[in-house]
Amino acid sequence: MKPTTAHTGDPTLEALLAEQRRAQGGRLRLAALSAALVSGASVALLGLSGWFITGAAIAGAGGFAVVQAFNYLLPAAVIRMLAIVRTGSRYVERVSGHAAALKALARLRPLLFARLAAAPPRRAFSLSSGEASARMIQDVDAIQTVFVRLSGPWGAGAGALAAIGLALLAGALPALVLAGGIAIAIFGGLLIGRRVADPAGRRVQVAMGLFKDRLSALQAAAPELRAYGLESWAADQVGQAARTLDRRRVADAVAGGWIPVFQAAVLAVTVIGVIATSAPASLPLVALAALASVTGLEAAAALTGGLRQNGAAQEALARLAEVLDDPARPVIRQLAPAMAGDAIVIRSAALEIAPPFRLGVIGPSGSGKTRLIETLMGLRPSVADQLRLGGLPLEDAALDDVRARFAYASQDVRLLAGSIADNLRLADPGASNDDLWAALSDACLADRVAALPAGLDTVLSENGDRLSGGERRRLGLARAYLRDAPWLVLDEPTEGLDAATETRVLDGLTHHLSTRRQGLILVSHRSAPTALCDRVVDVSVTLSPGGIPLGGRDVRAAA
Amino acid sequence: MTADALPTLAPGSWLKAAGRPHRRLLGLSAALVVGDVAPAIGFAAGLGLAIGALEHSVAEAAPWLVLAAASLMLRGWMGQAATFVSATAAAAVKGEVRQGIVADLFAGRRPAAAALTAVVEAVETLDGHVARFAPVRLAATVSPLIVIAVCALASPVVAGILLLTLIPFVVGMALAGGAAAAESRRQFQALERLSGTFLDRVRALPTLLSFQAETRTTREIAGAADELERRTGRVLKVAFVSSAVLEFFSALSVALVAVYCGFNLLRILPFPVPETLDLGRAFFVLALAPEVYAPMRRLAAAYHEKQAAEAAAPSMAGPEPGRPVIAPPSRRWSSAPELDFRSVTIRYGDGAPAITDFDLHVPAGAIVALVGPSGSGKTSLLHLLLGLAPLSSGEVRVGGHGLSHAGAFAGAVGWASQNPVVAPGDLFGNIALARPGASAEEIRDAAARAGLQDDLGRILDERGGGLSGGERRRLGLARALLSPSCLLLLDEPTANLDPESEAAVVEVIRAAAEGRTTLIATHSQAVMALADRVVRL
Repeated sequence: MKPTTAHTGDPTLEALLAEQRRAQGGRLRLAALSAALVSGASVALLGLSGWFITGAAIAGAGGFAVVQAFNYLLPAAVIRMLAIVRTGSRYVERVSGHAAALKALARLRPLLFARLAAAPPRRAFSLSSGEASARMIQDVDAIQTVFVRLSGPWGAGAGALAAIGLALLAGALPALVLAGGIAIAIFGGLLIGRRVADPAGRRVQVAMGLFKDRLSALQAAAPELRAYGLESWAADQVGQAARTLDRRRVADAVAGGWIPVFQAAVLAVTVIGVIATSAPASLPLVALAALASVTGLEAAAALTGGLRQNGAAQEALARLAEVLDDPARPVIRQLAPAMAGDAIVIRSAALEIAPPFRLGVIGPSGSGKTRLIETLMGLRPSVADQLRLGGLPLEDAALDDVRARFAYASQDVRLLAGSIADNLRLADPGASNDDLWAALSDACLADRVAALPAGLDTVLSENGDRLSGGERRRLGLARAYLRDAPWLVLDEPTEGLDAATETRVLDGLTHHLSTRRQGLILVSHRSAPTALCDRVVDVSVTLSPGGIPLGGRDVRAAA
Repeated sequence: MTADALPTLAPGSWLKAAGRPHRRLLGLSAALVVGDVAPAIGFAAGLGLAIGALEHSVAEAAPWLVLAAASLMLRGWMGQAATFVSATAAAAVKGEVRQGIVADLFAGRRPAAAALTAVVEAVETLDGHVARFAPVRLAATVSPLIVIAVCALASPVVAGILLLTLIPFVVGMALAGGAAAAESRRQFQALERLSGTFLDRVRALPTLLSFQAETRTTREIAGAADELERRTGRVLKVAFVSSAVLEFFSALSVALVAVYCGFNLLRILPFPVPETLDLGRAFFVLALAPEVYAPMRRLAAAYHEKQAAEAAAPSMAGPEPGRPVIAPPSRRWSSAPELDFRSVTIRYGDGAPAITDFDLHVPAGAIVALVGPSGSGKTSLLHLLLGLAPLSSGEVRVGGHGLSHAGAFAGAVGWASQNPVVAPGDLFGNIALARPGASAEEIRDAAARAGLQDDLGRILDERGGGLSGGERRRLGLARALLSPSCLLLLDEPTANLDPESEAAVVEVIRAAAEGRTTLIATHSQAVMALADRVVRL
């Protein structure tokens, strides 16, 4: 199944694979050439050995004079040469074929991430991280075979030609029988592959997905299972999905196994046929034809053997195409009109503000404070005609232009695995250590970081386990301070802090704003932070249908 | 209770122990692979004798040709039988190891993230080890000797030559295996790094986007992907070099046999030998010679499967291999219990404590709301009672029973969250999970009190399809209502609900809390309003 073509300006998965095939063309051609040499040499090697032994036997039986006439030196030398050629070219084929595949996959993985990141917000966040990593790791691995097996037809073709050529020496009929046998072995193998092995391989990938889903769903519900004593019930549920997967793996192994069973039968019949039809020729030539047909068919079998993983590869390609080929993506993203200025208009609040204005946003839990600011920053799909930025309706603006206007510290601070400095430099790759310390100082975290043995280079484990909740929040704040953007957006920056720390953090914020002359959008349910604002809006009122503006306080003169 | 403190088995011994319960299947699959030499000998004998007989007439050769053909077909079928038995053995071993890890996972005996990768990725490596590596391991040592013994029947000198050539083979394989092991550990680490980086960056995608760090992150991932490519390339090169060496030696050995046979047939050997070959016997040993090396080449090809499984074994072995699941003693209270947290500290691993010196007294039958920002330890306090978070110091007493003594109060607690577990089946059966012996009447009553009147027979899929957000919370609360427990724990029961649905769910919580001691972790004003006491963390 080919991935569906998407109507986008970016290349589809199919096109990306074709591009990688071109990029790795040199290696792939070398692999194909070597594969042809391997098969040709194998066929010639075994055929010639048979001919040599048989010829020697006949010469030996013929007495001294015949032995003297029998040239045993040349065939013996050719046999050794063929053995070396076969070994060397098999090594070259494997190394260059796999190198091409690995390099192609290494290019695809970051592309996949880039696509995910560039997608509109609704899609970018729709894949769970586990699902996304399964696609980038397991699915990309599964398509390795698509590159590696490209040399297969060349090896099979060269093997078949060499074998048929040698069989011709024993007569036209044995050559014809062998050609027929090879054709039946290949096409039968392809047929079994397509009809039996592919579907079985796909079923394995599907069962794998269901098993992972079931496992993670039940794992997420572990507390509930514990509460009601349902642990063994849950283990049994997972066990059922796992048993289905295991059964399908066995079925897949057996389905793929029918290809060699079939080809062994074809080989048996063909060898009998070749020997029977070449009997009129001299005995050494019969031996040559018989052994050449065995290796010729084995070369053909190697071609179809590579198809065993095809089902899994096809399913993986389809899953990757889902990520890469988005039919809903707008084609004209780059043509978005340019923005003028940094002013924000919130229709429902009848608000038009520009830096260094400070806007407070309040409202009860669940009323949409975070939704409002994330929409504004292009992290959520925008509703038509509600928000304007830099003179444009938000939905018409380029995501890059939108995001460039904000520095954001979210409520749940996401830290990357890496050092404190790495996390801070996410906001500004060129920041000096002094800049980092200044930001940390404004976020009231400088003393804490300075007290750590490794300071800025302290490595944070996954999501910053070594820091407390309040410290993570302040690190997120420092990171936002480092980003040079017209608007600073803070979501509950002082939640969970005691009153004294809150006062210090807000002093730092005031200091930061006065030096940078940034605008501020601040979400909080506490009164101390919102007291810094020029105006405060309550989203539960202003964003309700009808959009009546209701400021908590009147607009004070912007500084 | 750390995993490192416990004695751990070496990966190889652990893998052996994991396979022990399925000795018979494993033995059968190895026997089938070894048995493959029988049709191989049959084919060589048939071919040799046929060529020998052809000197006289085609008719004389016919039975031997049939033997050769029949052997080839038998070989195909035996291969298929070996495939089936090996795959079945792998499924059996995998199933058993997986069930052990899954049981640990749900009992909270392993960290969840580690257990999840162990259950999927690590267990999958057993497939290659059991189905592809283990059967050829025996064949690689036994089959060459069988084939050489059979060769000796036709030509003792050839058998002697073959025996001598085995020595460089064995030495070469040992050297290649040792070199590959170190490379393959480094490759595994590169894979873990790539997979870890990708997972971390996808989780942080909103943050990365808001800082417009996509391009830098993509470069970073490209770096990790390139590193994996280099490492994998190196591992493969070692594997390819070692198999090329094996192949070369095998070709040389076969050529040596061919030259000996040829000179013997020509009767011009420069040294005396105690045998004179005929064409049939020469052809037979020549066709059989590659079969001496084939099992060892198959072993070399499957060697990376063994290394992958050994690299994964420590994560499968977990805290205490093979330890039986000990169910904590179930405590039930006949009336709403009193709750007492005394200077409780919860610390996962060696990170910062999630909760430090926490004190709280909850009178019997009271409703307490725990509020605070994410990461402040609300959920950890609830998990503590279920044994899913460690009690690092302090004590919790519930109705007079100490947590440090009981270990957990699992199985005796009512629980509801924003995402109740949904089993494939109908809504009725899903509610019934909370109390296996409940009557239909009781279940319908709990459903009605939770506001789930219509159509309890509707079928739900496991992702909760067929239920709205509000209905999912009601399902969780219906379970709590049905459960006989007098202690109710609620984790964010109204998160992500619109105000109307939230108000309705709060009413159900009020009903469920009646006659129970209730602890609620929440951000919601409406839920806080319901509580007798609000505790800020």
